[in-house]
Amino acid sequence: MPLNDPDLVARVLLQDDHHAFAELVRNHQSPVRGLLRQLVRGDLALADDLAQETFLRAYKNLRSFRGEAKFSTWLYRIAYNCFREEARKRKELVGIDEARLEAEHDPQTVDPALKHDLMHALQLLPLHERSAILLCCQNGLSHDEAARVLDIPLGTVKTNVLRGREKLKKTLAAWGPA
Amino acid sequence: MDEQLQEDWLEQRLRDEQPYIDDAGFTAQVVQKLPAPGRPRSARAAILLGITVLASLLAYLASDGGRFLFVAFYEVAALPLLWVSLAALCCAMMLTALAASAAFINAREQR
Repeated sequence: MPLNDPDLVARVLLQDDHHAFAELVRNHQSPVRGLLRQLVRGDLALADDLAQETFLRAYKNLRSFRGEAKFSTWLYRIAYNCFREEARKRKELVGIDEARLEAEHDPQTVDPALKHDLMHALQLLPLHERSAILLCCQNGLSHDEAARVLDIPLGTVKTNVLRGREKLKKTLAAWGPA
Repeated sequence: MDEQLQEDWLEQRLRDEQPYIDDAGFTAQVVQKLPAPGRPRSARAAILLGITVLASLLAYLASDGGRFLFVAFYEVAALPLLWVSLAALCCAMMLTALAASAAFINAREQR
Protein backbone atom coordinates (compact mmCIF):
# COMPACT_ATOMS: atom_id res chain seq x y z
CA MET A 1 0.00 0.00 0.00
CA PRO A 2 1.51 3.38 -0.96
CA LEU A 3 2.30 5.70 1.95
CA ASN A 4 0.68 9.14 2.16
CA ASP A 5 2.63 12.40 2.46
CA PRO A 6 2.65 12.70 6.30
CA ASP A 7 3.92 9.09 6.61
CA LEU A 8 6.66 9.71 4.08
CA VAL A 9 7.65 12.94 5.82
CA ALA A 10 7.82 11.09 9.15
CA ARG A 11 10.08 8.44 7.60
CA VAL A 12 12.46 11.07 6.25
CA LEU A 13 12.59 12.83 9.60
CA LEU A 14 13.02 9.76 11.78
CA GLN A 15 15.20 7.56 9.59
CA ASP A 16 16.67 10.02 7.09
CA ASP A 17 15.12 7.71 4.49
CA HIS A 18 16.15 8.90 1.02
CA HIS A 19 13.74 6.45 -0.63
CA ALA A 20 10.82 8.05 1.21
CA PHE A 21 11.98 11.50 0.10
CA ALA A 22 12.34 10.24 -3.48
CA GLU A 23 8.72 9.09 -3.28
CA LEU A 24 7.68 12.58 -2.16
CA VAL A 25 9.60 14.14 -5.06
CA ARG A 26 8.02 11.70 -7.55
CA ASN A 27 4.53 12.47 -6.24
CA HIS A 28 4.91 16.25 -6.43
CA GLN A 29 7.43 16.92 -9.20
CA SER A 30 4.85 17.41 -11.94
CA PRO A 31 2.71 20.16 -10.33
CA VAL A 32 5.76 21.95 -8.89
CA ARG A 33 7.63 21.91 -12.22
CA GLY A 34 4.42 22.89 -14.01
CA LEU A 35 3.87 25.88 -11.76
CA LEU A 36 7.47 27.02 -12.14
CA ARG A 37 7.37 26.64 -15.92
CA GLN A 38 4.42 29.00 -16.01
CA LEU A 39 6.01 31.43 -13.59
CA VAL A 40 9.24 31.67 -15.59
CA ARG A 41 7.27 32.03 -18.83
CA GLY A 42 8.25 28.71 -20.34
CA ASP A 43 12.01 28.62 -19.71
CA LEU A 44 12.12 24.85 -19.07
CA ALA A 45 15.76 24.65 -17.96
CA LEU A 46 15.37 27.48 -15.45
CA ALA A 47 12.09 26.00 -14.19
CA ASP A 48 13.74 22.63 -13.57
CA ASP A 49 16.71 24.25 -11.81
CA LEU A 50 14.29 26.08 -9.52
CA ALA A 51 12.28 22.89 -8.97
CA GLN A 52 15.45 21.07 -7.91
CA GLU A 53 16.30 23.90 -5.54
CA THR A 54 12.74 23.72 -4.19
CA PHE A 55 13.02 20.03 -3.29
CA LEU A 56 16.50 20.41 -1.83
CA ARG A 57 15.28 23.25 0.41
CA ALA A 58 12.25 21.17 1.34
CA TYR A 59 14.57 18.35 2.43
CA LYS A 60 16.76 20.73 4.43
CA ASN A 61 13.81 22.39 6.17
CA LEU A 62 11.51 19.38 6.47
CA ARG A 63 11.59 19.68 10.25
CA SER A 64 9.77 23.01 9.96
CA PHE A 65 6.84 21.35 8.15
CA ARG A 66 4.29 20.97 10.94
CA GLY A 67 1.49 19.45 8.91
CA GLU A 68 -0.86 22.41 9.46
CA ALA A 69 -1.09 22.91 5.70
CA LYS A 70 -0.98 20.27 2.97
CA PHE A 71 2.52 19.16 1.99
CA SER A 72 1.86 20.35 -1.56
CA THR A 73 0.91 23.85 -0.32
CA TRP A 74 4.13 23.97 1.70
CA LEU A 75 6.11 22.95 -1.40
CA TYR A 76 4.40 25.59 -3.54
CA ARG A 77 5.43 28.21 -1.02
CA ILE A 78 9.08 27.13 -1.21
CA ALA A 79 8.86 27.00 -5.01
CA TYR A 80 7.37 30.49 -5.13
CA ASN A 81 10.12 31.81 -2.83
CA CYS A 82 12.79 30.22 -5.07
CA PHE A 83 11.16 31.88 -8.06
CA ARG A 84 10.97 35.25 -6.27
CA GLU A 85 14.68 35.13 -5.44
CA GLU A 86 15.48 34.37 -9.10
CA ALA A 87 13.09 37.11 -10.25
CA ARG A 88 15.00 39.66 -8.19
CA LYS A 89 18.03 38.89 -10.36
CA ARG A 90 16.07 38.75 -13.64
CA LYS A 91 13.68 41.64 -13.92
CA GLU A 92 12.13 40.25 -17.12
CA LEU A 93 10.40 37.51 -15.10
CA VAL A 94 8.31 39.97 -13.12
CA GLY A 95 7.00 42.75 -15.36
CA ILE A 96 4.61 42.50 -18.23
CA ASP A 97 6.29 41.66 -21.50
CA GLU A 98 5.32 44.98 -23.14
CA ALA A 99 6.76 44.12 -26.54
CA ARG A 100 4.88 40.83 -26.61
CA LEU A 101 1.70 42.48 -25.43
CA GLU A 102 1.91 45.06 -28.20
CA ALA A 103 2.62 42.40 -30.80
CA GLU A 104 -0.44 40.53 -29.52
CA HIS A 105 -2.68 43.42 -30.50
CA ASP A 106 -1.07 43.85 -33.90
CA PRO A 107 -2.90 41.71 -36.49
CA GLN A 108 0.16 41.78 -38.73
CA THR A 109 2.46 40.08 -36.26
CA VAL A 110 0.25 37.80 -34.21
CA ASP A 111 0.53 34.04 -34.78
CA PRO A 112 -3.04 32.73 -35.18
CA ALA A 113 -2.14 29.43 -33.51
CA LEU A 114 -1.03 31.24 -30.39
CA LYS A 115 -4.36 33.02 -30.14
CA HIS A 116 -5.81 29.64 -29.21
CA ASP A 117 -3.24 28.93 -26.57
CA LEU A 118 -4.46 29.55 -23.08
CA MET A 119 -0.98 29.14 -21.65
CA HIS A 120 0.25 31.81 -24.00
CA ALA A 121 -2.53 34.13 -22.82
CA LEU A 122 -1.57 33.40 -19.21
CA GLN A 123 1.99 34.48 -19.84
CA LEU A 124 0.77 37.90 -20.88
CA LEU A 125 -0.65 38.55 -17.40
CA PRO A 126 1.40 40.44 -14.81
CA LEU A 127 3.09 38.18 -12.26
CA HIS A 128 0.72 38.80 -9.32
CA GLU A 129 -2.35 37.92 -11.39
CA ARG A 130 -0.65 35.03 -13.17
CA SER A 131 0.52 33.40 -9.95
CA ALA A 132 -2.90 33.77 -8.30
CA ILE A 133 -4.66 32.25 -11.33
CA LEU A 134 -2.14 29.40 -11.56
CA LEU A 135 -2.46 28.47 -7.90
CA CYS A 136 -6.23 28.86 -7.51
CA CYS A 137 -7.66 27.93 -10.90
CA GLN A 138 -5.07 25.50 -12.20
CA ASN A 139 -3.60 23.84 -9.12
CA GLY A 140 -6.84 23.85 -7.16
CA LEU A 141 -5.66 25.75 -4.07
CA SER A 142 -8.22 27.64 -2.04
CA HIS A 143 -7.84 31.43 -1.86
CA ASP A 144 -6.66 31.03 1.70
CA GLU A 145 -3.95 28.52 0.74
CA ALA A 146 -2.85 30.71 -2.17
CA ALA A 147 -2.59 33.68 0.20
CA ARG A 148 -0.23 31.63 2.37
CA VAL A 149 1.87 30.53 -0.60
CA LEU A 150 2.15 34.04 -2.03
CA ASP A 151 2.47 35.67 1.39
CA ILE A 152 -0.17 38.31 0.61
CA PRO A 153 -3.56 39.13 2.18
CA LEU A 154 -6.56 36.99 1.28
CA GLY A 155 -8.43 39.95 -0.24
CA THR A 156 -5.53 40.67 -2.58
CA VAL A 157 -5.55 37.08 -3.83
CA LYS A 158 -9.28 37.29 -4.57
CA THR A 159 -8.81 40.58 -6.44
CA ASN A 160 -5.88 39.21 -8.44
CA VAL A 161 -7.82 36.09 -9.43
CA LEU A 162 -10.81 38.18 -10.52
CA ARG A 163 -8.75 40.65 -12.52
CA GLY A 164 -6.63 37.92 -14.08
CA ARG A 165 -9.70 35.97 -15.10
CA GLU A 166 -11.28 39.06 -16.65
CA LYS A 167 -8.15 39.72 -18.69
CA LEU A 168 -7.95 36.10 -19.80
CA LYS A 169 -11.57 36.16 -20.86
CA LYS A 170 -10.96 39.30 -22.89
CA THR A 171 -7.88 37.85 -24.58
CA LEU A 172 -9.63 34.59 -25.38
CA ALA A 173 -13.09 36.03 -26.07
CA ALA A 174 -12.83 35.48 -29.80
CA TRP A 175 -12.71 31.70 -29.50
CA GLY A 176 -14.73 30.98 -26.38
CA PRO A 177 -17.79 28.71 -26.21
CA ALA A 178 -20.23 29.23 -29.05
CA MET B 1 -25.79 33.22 -18.82
CA ASP B 2 -23.16 33.75 -21.51
CA GLU B 3 -20.94 35.19 -18.84
CA GLN B 4 -21.38 32.08 -16.68
CA LEU B 5 -20.74 29.79 -19.65
CA GLN B 6 -17.56 31.62 -20.44
CA GLU B 7 -16.50 31.46 -16.81
CA ASP B 8 -17.08 27.70 -16.62
CA TRP B 9 -15.32 27.15 -19.91
CA LEU B 10 -12.28 29.11 -18.73
CA GLU B 11 -12.13 27.20 -15.43
CA GLN B 12 -12.33 23.91 -17.28
CA ARG B 13 -9.66 24.92 -19.78
CA LEU B 14 -7.32 26.04 -17.02
CA ARG B 15 -7.68 22.70 -15.24
CA ASP B 16 -7.25 20.74 -18.48
CA GLU B 17 -4.21 22.73 -19.57
CA GLN B 18 -2.00 21.33 -16.86
CA PRO B 19 -0.35 18.32 -18.46
CA TYR B 20 1.42 15.69 -16.38
CA ILE B 21 5.16 16.31 -16.63
CA ASP B 22 7.05 13.05 -16.97
CA ASP B 23 9.69 12.56 -14.28
CA ALA B 24 12.41 11.70 -16.86
CA GLY B 25 15.19 11.38 -14.29
CA PHE B 26 14.25 14.49 -12.31
CA THR B 27 13.74 12.61 -9.02
CA ALA B 28 17.06 10.77 -9.45
CA GLN B 29 18.86 14.10 -9.94
CA VAL B 30 17.33 15.56 -6.78
CA VAL B 31 18.13 12.47 -4.69
CA GLN B 32 21.70 12.50 -5.98
CA LYS B 33 22.14 16.02 -4.59
CA LEU B 34 20.84 15.17 -1.11
CA PRO B 35 23.47 15.10 1.64
CA ALA B 36 24.63 11.58 2.55
CA PRO B 37 22.46 10.00 5.26
CA GLY B 38 23.84 10.70 8.71
CA ARG B 39 23.74 8.47 11.77
CA PRO B 40 20.25 7.68 13.05
CA ARG B 41 18.94 10.21 15.58
CA SER B 42 18.92 7.63 18.38
CA ALA B 43 22.63 6.88 17.84
CA ARG B 44 23.45 10.60 17.81
CA ALA B 45 21.50 11.11 21.03
CA ALA B 46 23.32 8.20 22.70
CA ILE B 47 26.73 9.55 21.65
CA LEU B 48 25.90 13.05 22.91
CA LEU B 49 24.62 11.69 26.22
CA GLY B 50 27.72 9.51 26.63
CA ILE B 51 30.08 12.42 25.98
CA THR B 52 28.14 14.63 28.42
CA VAL B 53 28.28 12.03 31.21
CA LEU B 54 32.00 11.40 30.62
CA ALA B 55 32.83 15.12 30.56
CA SER B 56 30.83 15.70 33.75
CA LEU B 57 32.63 12.84 35.49
CA LEU B 58 36.04 14.14 34.43
CA ALA B 59 35.17 17.68 35.52
CA TYR B 60 33.96 16.37 38.89
CA LEU B 61 37.16 14.39 39.49
CA ALA B 62 39.48 17.15 38.20
CA SER B 63 37.87 19.77 40.41
CA ASP B 64 38.30 17.87 43.64
CA GLY B 65 34.68 16.78 43.90
CA GLY B 66 33.27 20.01 42.53
CA ARG B 67 34.77 22.05 45.37
CA PHE B 68 35.26 25.09 43.16
CA LEU B 69 31.48 25.31 42.71
CA PHE B 70 30.95 25.73 46.46
CA VAL B 71 33.74 28.29 46.63
CA ALA B 72 32.28 30.27 43.72
CA PHE B 73 28.81 30.07 45.24
CA TYR B 74 30.01 31.49 48.55
CA GLU B 75 31.91 34.25 46.78
CA VAL B 76 28.84 35.26 44.78
CA ALA B 77 26.67 35.09 47.91
CA ALA B 78 29.08 37.47 49.66
CA LEU B 79 28.68 40.13 46.92
CA PRO B 80 26.35 43.11 47.51
CA LEU B 81 22.76 42.50 46.34
CA LEU B 82 23.02 45.25 43.69
CA TRP B 83 26.01 43.54 42.01
CA VAL B 84 24.29 40.16 42.01
CA SER B 85 21.15 41.71 40.50
CA LEU B 86 23.19 43.49 37.81
CA ALA B 87 25.05 40.28 36.93
CA ALA B 88 21.74 38.38 36.69
CA LEU B 89 20.28 41.13 34.49
CA CYS B 90 23.32 41.04 32.17
CA CYS B 91 23.08 37.24 31.86
CA ALA B 92 19.35 37.46 31.08
CA MET B 93 19.93 40.14 28.42
CA MET B 94 22.70 38.12 26.80
CA LEU B 95 20.55 34.99 26.70
CA THR B 96 17.61 36.95 25.23
CA ALA B 97 19.84 38.45 22.54
CA LEU B 98 21.24 35.02 21.65
CA ALA B 99 17.78 33.44 21.50
CA ALA B 100 16.40 36.31 19.40
CA SER B 101 19.25 36.11 16.89
CA ALA B 102 18.89 32.30 16.65
CA ALA B 103 15.14 32.69 16.03
CA PHE B 104 15.79 35.37 13.39
CA ILE B 105 18.33 33.20 11.54
CA ASN B 106 16.00 30.20 11.70
CA ALA B 107 13.05 32.20 10.38
CA ARG B 108 15.15 33.56 7.51
CA GLU B 109 16.30 30.05 6.54
CA GLN B 110 12.73 28.81 6.48
CA ARG B 111 11.45 31.55 4.20
